[in-house]
Amino acid sequence: MTSLTLIATNPIRDSSLLDVEDRDIVRGQEENKQAFLSSWFKKAGRKINPSFTSYPSQLMLVNFLRVKRIFVHGKESFPSSLIYRSFHLRLFSSMKKDIQGNVLYGLRTSESVAEHEEEKCSTANAQSTPEIEKKYVHRVYDAIAPHFSSTRFAKWPKVAAFLGSLPLGSLVLDAGCGNGKYLGLNPDCYFIGCDISAPLIKICSDREHEVLVADAVNLPYRTGFGDAAISIAVLHHLSTESRRKKAIQELVRVVKVGGLVLITVWAAEQEDKTLVTKWTPLADKYAEEWVGPSSPRARSSPSLTLESIPEAEDKGFKEKEINLPEDSKVLPEMSPSRQREINIDNQQEYFVPWHLPYHRAEVGGASAYAVESGLAKKDDKKGAVVYNRYYHVFCEGELERLVSGMNNVTVVDRFFDKSNWCIVIEKSC
Amino acid sequence: MRLLTHNMLSCNVKGVTNGFPLIIQADKVLEKPAELNHDFLRNMFYKVDWKALVDAAKSMGYSELPESAEASMLESLDFLNRFHHALMELHLEEGALICPETGRKFPVDKGIPNMLLHEDEV
Repeated sequence: MTSLTLIATNPIRDSSLLDVEDRDIVRGQEENKQAFLSSWFKKAGRKINPSFTSYPSQLMLVNFLRVKRIFVHGKESFPSSLIYRSFHLRLFSSMKKDIQGNVLYGLRTSESVAEHEEEKCSTANAQSTPEIEKKYVHRVYDAIAPHFSSTRFAKWPKVAAFLGSLPLGSLVLDAGCGNGKYLGLNPDCYFIGCDISAPLIKICSDREHEVLVADAVNLPYRTGFGDAAISIAVLHHLSTESRRKKAIQELVRVVKVGGLVLITVWAAEQEDKTLVTKWTPLADKYAEEWVGPSSPRARSSPSLTLESIPEAEDKGFKEKEINLPEDSKVLPEMSPSRQREINIDNQQEYFVPWHLPYHRAEVGGASAYAVESGLAKKDDKKGAVVYNRYYHVFCEGELERLVSGMNNVTVVDRFFDKSNWCIVIEKSC
Repeated sequence: MRLLTHNMLSCNVKGVTNGFPLIIQADKVLEKPAELNHDFLRNMFYKVDWKALVDAAKSMGYSELPESAEASMLESLDFLNRFHHALMELHLEEGALICPETGRKFPVDKGIPNMLLHEDEV
């Protein structure tokens, strides 16, 4: 079921998609419609006063009933992903609770998702690797390591400048070093790299670098040993805020007092917006609900999120006021691309594809296994196995926010470069 | 793995307080020459735990380091060479790093230590 079938645009035609008894409501008396919707709104703790003589309100009713139908007949996880971004969140969540007698799992605003995550994580351990990272970061990089490495050679000037500014003879720790691109970039410094991917570390080791396999969230280094540390394009693979914070704390811990740390992460605000259209936004981070690339969410594109119920007649929409739950927004225009923009503005969780060409897909059949188990899929047109990598892209100020609570850290520099947010922090004590 | 790295590694299993220094099980040791860098050695001298370095070097088959050292010894080229050799030119290729508190073994394979913890250790 796609959002196109979900969003009714013609109350008479689309009511045929409803359950029989609901069709009668749509085609029935004004008072009945009023009463029907009122009862649902009341349960959600909201007043309602739409007039059902108007076309837009008829549409609203039909859409409302479409959603109700999903809750009655649909699968638990499917509505969550669609309703999640809905502007009638509170109303639908109340409806769902009522129909299915379920707790509001998945039906949350993004703020409460973050809070719930924090809660989950303080009881679960920030150092314990979540499933989504195991499947969509670790296993993927292990599978694509040689190919990935072959594409990673350009040295980012900003990183080179940071490394070049360090005193002679500095010991630099690269946490999440990948294929070791930055190890040894400054010949007057000594580098020790670590990464969670053994295949990538093997590539570093073959290039004679000093490396080890370790977890950025729990570095095996003694406190204060390093002179500087770098974390280049790493933290965006951590799926919870507490893990991201922990990784930063680790970077700070392992450098000496006065030591500098450079962190770069992918920005939500990408300079090349067409790039973002190739990504799959994740409506719900909970890896437990993720059943694999065949699930509806895996096939979702930005337009799959439930578009706000249109308030006005036609493509040439005008703003119309109706008394909706206060967490909903009345949008002036409902064209799909505008809706997509709005959804993307709040969207920070993505799957970003990696195309591993068939001729690079390795020995041992790891890619064949990945395809079979649903971790990857084949794209014959492109002649590649397509893997998805999990990303939490950062929004402006997010890095600063993460370090603001750390009392031994001072921000020395912050910048946006090549669609990455970057920060340089100093360990102050 | 060089002894420089060994000198900064510590067992990070949850609850462990005395995870340093890791005991070396040296199954295969290689010696690879490296260029001596005075600035770097001086910098490292102040960082390293000297006793841990001496013991580690011995377990790798090198006993030429003095039992104790002080900064003035950095003036001596002979001392610098020994320090450099132990710190940068001895490589543990195969073996393990063992936590002194729990006995947990971190394998070293082809010169690469694997410090990843299991689920129940974090």
